[in-house]
Amino acid sequence: MAKISAKNIAEAIYIASEGKHGNDLSIILKNGAKMISNKRMIGHSENILKALQDIIDKKNNTIRANITSAKPLTNEQRKNLEHQIKEKYKAERVESVFFEKSELLGGIRIEVGDEVTDSTYKNKLSKLENFLIRNN
Amino acid sequence: MSNNIVENLRKEIESFKVATQTEKVGHVIEVFDGIAKVSGLSDIKSSEMVTFPNGVTGVALNLEEDTVGVIILGEFSKIKEGDEVKATGRILEIPVSDSILGRVVSALGESIDGKGVFKSEKTYPVERVASGVITRQGVDQPVSTGIKVIDAIIPIGRGQRELIIGDRQTGKTAIAIDAILNQKGQNMICVYVSIGQKDSKLRKIEARLEEGGAMAYTVIVSAGASEPAPMSYIAPYTGVSIAEYFMDQGKDVLIIYDDLSKHAVAYREISLLLRRPPGREAYPGDVFYLHSRLLERACRRNEKYGGGSITALPIIETQAGDISAYIPTNVISITDGQIFLETDLFYKGIRPAVNVGFSVSRVGSSAQIKAMKKVAGTLKLDLAQFRELEAFAQFGSDLDEATQNQLERGKRAIEVLKQAQYSPIKVENQVVIMYALTKGYMDNVAIEKIKAFENGLIEYSVRNAKTFYKEVQTSKMWTDKGEAELKKAIEDFKSGFTQ
Repeated sequence: MAKISAKNIAEAIYIASEGKHGNDLSIILKNGAKMISNKRMIGHSENILKALQDIIDKKNNTIRANITSAKPLTNEQRKNLEHQIKEKYKAERVESVFFEKSELLGGIRIEVGDEVTDSTYKNKLSKLENFLIRNN
Repeated sequence: MSNNIVENLRKEIESFKVATQTEKVGHVIEVFDGIAKVSGLSDIKSSEMVTFPNGVTGVALNLEEDTVGVIILGEFSKIKEGDEVKATGRILEIPVSDSILGRVVSALGESIDGKGVFKSEKTYPVERVASGVITRQGVDQPVSTGIKVIDAIIPIGRGQRELIIGDRQTGKTAIAIDAILNQKGQNMICVYVSIGQKDSKLRKIEARLEEGGAMAYTVIVSAGASEPAPMSYIAPYTGVSIAEYFMDQGKDVLIIYDDLSKHAVAYREISLLLRRPPGREAYPGDVFYLHSRLLERACRRNEKYGGGSITALPIIETQAGDISAYIPTNVISITDGQIFLETDLFYKGIRPAVNVGFSVSRVGSSAQIKAMKKVAGTLKLDLAQFRELEAFAQFGSDLDEATQNQLERGKRAIEVLKQAQYSPIKVENQVVIMYALTKGYMDNVAIEKIKAFENGLIEYSVRNAKTFYKEVQTSKMWTDKGEAELKKAIEDFKSGFTQ
């Protein structure tokens, strides 16, 4: 039998708990936790939770974005960005977390899943560096 | 001066444009021995190039459900867990240009000879499908190696793949280097790929090629013994991509892979680290494909597709003469023949230590020049008969005259085929020597005087058989007039030759 992955367990828990409420849901979750323990996958619980989160996000058409900028963004800028992300990924909801990093010098870096849109000065400078090395 | 530099830089910076793009990224889960397991990178292709934060390049080899197995081409000790890995969307490629000639480059095509970066206008993918059937043509032009035994008995043609196989210290690299040295003025570009060799050996080779004026038409691709296995794995493909760049310009290229045994070992290391199932001798299942796809890229293109050719001389090191091991049998079956070198012959003083019986060239004879074909036609047979008779000769000297003559001829043939390292002989001179041998002019020359006879004869006939030389150089065959002139020159020289 193939090795069970964190994704498989998350999918199983999701299917079992779909449409359940209250006591039923808590029994399913308890059984799920027991199964994780029986399969000796307690060490992978973080990955299982992440996989479960991904499944739920996909179902709810939610996007999670990490937005990093050099300076703090105004509320209006944040809303504007979230709106653009929503449009680009055709999502219903955007859950965004904002970070500040002064070493980016300027611009914004948006991470959605494994996609990164990087318009920071730091990134542009490193591209310029490569360009100058290649051409001289 | 400094104003100029600033001005140039200003112009370049002004011309630089960067568009913000969405890139696919992943994160390093684990790193070990030149391999990284990376999460994310969902849309990555097999053999796609990725970049690590410190500028190191990697290539995605294993695409799994949640992770990607990446081989790291460069320093991997600074890569740590959690580092961001960017997909480039491009298959691994190397910079190429005409100015790469005379340079020593790494497996990634970067200069490592301290002469600075070479300017490149183009890049070529490292992995490429070999030229198709329609674009090809039969092998009919010779590659002159300058080594008598090869040019006469195991001729190599442009576009051929001829394996050089033998134990350690039997002169495999020496044959390859001699072949490169002899390409001067023969309209040939050479690529020497050094895989897992000591840096001292590479330095020696480079110095020798420089001394012989061969670096002007040679590129060295090196993945040293101190570099991680992924570099050794990629180096031959880099070499053949450089060769293809020149072939696409209609040029003839000679490429030497020194050696493919180490290449297979490097690939085995990578495969085991990537947890691919091991097969015979712990090599992975696709080790045949590893070499066949590399050697299939050697070819001769027809005129419609620009002409040009890549002749490949892969080298395989055997262990205690065992040519039935896994990698030697694989490469023997892929190539169009092999030059088999033997330790015993080497220590008997027969150098190059080519075992003529086991060596073969499957397509080269159609590329051999007519003159050489005529003089060397019977040589292989003579040598085979000599070996058979040699066993009898040990029982006593009570042999008939014909047998005695055959033995004497064989001994002289072996003596003639001996050749010092770094002393390639022009094909016209080889024809003269072989002519004198096969027509029996050397039969009564003492064996220890054969070398002196050869050297003297070449010197004498260059001056006194000019028509013959001209005919062989231009039409690759002599006429009756040329032959008569050569015969006379040999007879004259022989009469004056003091035994």
